[in-house]
Amino acid sequence: MNRALIAAVGLFAGSCSSGSQYAQAIVALVDVSGTYADQRPEVVNVIRKGVLPHLTPGDTLVVIRIDSESYRKDNVEAHMTLDVRPSKANAQKLQLAGALDAFSHKQLRAAHTDIRGAMMLGAEYLRETNAGRRTMVIFSDMEEDLPRGVKRDMAADELKGVRVLAMNVKRLNRDNANPTAYRARLAGWEKQLTAHGAREFKVVLEPDKLADLLDEG
Amino acid sequence: MERLYFWPTNPAASLFTLWILSQVFLYAARVPVHRALREVGRLLGGVFRIGARWCRGLAGVAARRDHEMIVEMGKGDTEAKIGREFHRIEGAFAKELARYPDLHRKIDDVVTKVDADFQECATAAPAAPGWTEAVAAVAKLPPNMDSTVKKVMEEIQKSAVAGEKKALQEFREATAKKHKVLSSMAPAWKELQKLSTDVARAVTGALEATKRIDGFMGSYEKVRAADSKAIRALGWNATQLFVVSLLVMAVALGGAFVNFNLIALPMSELVPSGSRIGGMPVATVAALVVVLMEIAAGVFAMEMLGITSFFPKLELLPKSRRRIILVVALGGLFMLACIEASLAVLREQIVESSTALKASLAGVHETAVVQTASSRIPVVGQAVLGFILPWILAMVAVPLETMISTGGHIVLSAASGLLHLVGMICRLGGHGMRYLCEGARHLYDIYIVIPLQIERLVGSGARGGAAVALRGQGARQ
Repeated sequence: MNRALIAAVGLFAGSCSSGSQYAQAIVALVDVSGTYADQRPEVVNVIRKGVLPHLTPGDTLVVIRIDSESYRKDNVEAHMTLDVRPSKANAQKLQLAGALDAFSHKQLRAAHTDIRGAMMLGAEYLRETNAGRRTMVIFSDMEEDLPRGVKRDMAADELKGVRVLAMNVKRLNRDNANPTAYRARLAGWEKQLTAHGAREFKVVLEPDKLADLLDEG
Repeated sequence: MERLYFWPTNPAASLFTLWILSQVFLYAARVPVHRALREVGRLLGGVFRIGARWCRGLAGVAARRDHEMIVEMGKGDTEAKIGREFHRIEGAFAKELARYPDLHRKIDDVVTKVDADFQECATAAPAAPGWTEAVAAVAKLPPNMDSTVKKVMEEIQKSAVAGEKKALQEFREATAKKHKVLSSMAPAWKELQKLSTDVARAVTGALEATKRIDGFMGSYEKVRAADSKAIRALGWNATQLFVVSLLVMAVALGGAFVNFNLIALPMSELVPSGSRIGGMPVATVAALVVVLMEIAAGVFAMEMLGITSFFPKLELLPKSRRRIILVVALGGLFMLACIEASLAVLREQIVESSTALKASLAGVHETAVVQTASSRIPVVGQAVLGFILPWILAMVAVPLETMISTGGHIVLSAASGLLHLVGMICRLGGHGMRYLCEGARHLYDIYIVIPLQIERLVGSGARGGAAVALRGQGARQ
């Protein structure tokens, strides 16, 4: 009898778990340098329409700015874990939308593009959430240009279990002249990120597809 | 394959050599291979046969258990029906017999009254004594008498006529009085008739109940005697009940699903927790628990109303306690229904808020959102649905009980049928294996047909030579 009771209690305790492993954490890296700087309103619009409505209570969204030195905490433009109450979560979403609007109207233009620094910062935030599904959405032209003296060496498991979506990759003038270079650049990123543990690297052309991809997990 | 070639440069010669070698080897191993194939066939056939026998045995056990279960079920059912009839009769008799002394007294009173009236009707004024004889004596007097006598006679006639008139008057008065008494008897007769009808109705009811009990007793005896017809009927009845309760349960499951979806979202506002149980959010589990609680409350309510009998202990409780449990169950159900109605309203508000938020995030103008959400019909509809569904779910206890009670028969019947089928397949498999091994033996012989034919020719040649030698010896002798 006692054994059965202990077994039942153990089973119940084993079946109870924290909800974080079922939650989703999304890090959006927004490029504010070079040719991509003027894309910010469009990017914010994509986040508002494609990401925010699909977040459920318990999910986390972090927006990080990609500039000359992105591995700084100041680069975090917005960070919010939604409350488990739907009504409070809705209020938080509205607040976050406001913060994103403010970000889109800021006067920002970086001279260099430190993509990996932002990725490393984003990966740290993702690890901290302990979420079951971790996604990194990058809004950039994927052309890295580090300032002199800045080194970015990612650990082998830096992006372990993270799904990377390169969203709205802007083609540079030289990409239009030579699409092979553009493709080679993206292939290089894919190779590099998967080598650092990324679960997947995917280029998304249509903003409408982002929501479906996020739902897929 | 090429590794087996004796001469890799000459595959044809290699293959031919291999074929010759195989022929020689297989011819030499023919007898043991045949024996091995026969034994394998026998072994496999035996295994399948044992399997078939085992399945048949299990099917028989299942069928016996099913039979026993049906008999017990039938007995229990009929006993319950008989018990119910006796209970009815007891109730009716208790009621009628309680009324009986009063009824009897009433009938007695009425009969006494009627008797008295009747007696009163029968009494008539007695005639004066000797009056008839006197009249007869006067009538015998001769007609030619003297005047004095005549005068006396005339006086007598006058007094007779007067007496007759008076008697007639008295008779009429008595008759009228009797008629009056008789007419006053009419209500008493009517009352007597009514009382008789009441008695007749009670007696008829009792007789009908007796007939029903007779019928139940008949079927009970048949079930007890394990009459095959009665058992088949019971089995069919159980299957029918199972199918019907299964359908009702499926409908109830749909209702439970709708109910669950109605309260799952707003429950996250009431039970805000990020934890999960078995992968499900606590709020979802809470919604599920509410639905299950409604079903449990329904089970208790039905139990206390005497519709179902899940818990024999509860049946033994006194009526007052049963009533308390019934009130608690119905009260709980009412509370849960109210909670669900309010949650349904909350759900609508959350949905409206989410829609507005999405529209706002997408940059849609606010008035459009307000216009679409202005109707109160969905709110009212959801609230009503939230209030009604728990009561409907509470009814699920009845088909649930029927499904549980008849489920055993269905499971055992299905198991028996399945085991019969497997047994049949095993038997077929056994035959198949035997013939397969037989076929393999024949194929083996076909492959080495050339050495076999040579053997036959050599054998017949040797026998022919021996015969010729014998014939030659005979001729010389």
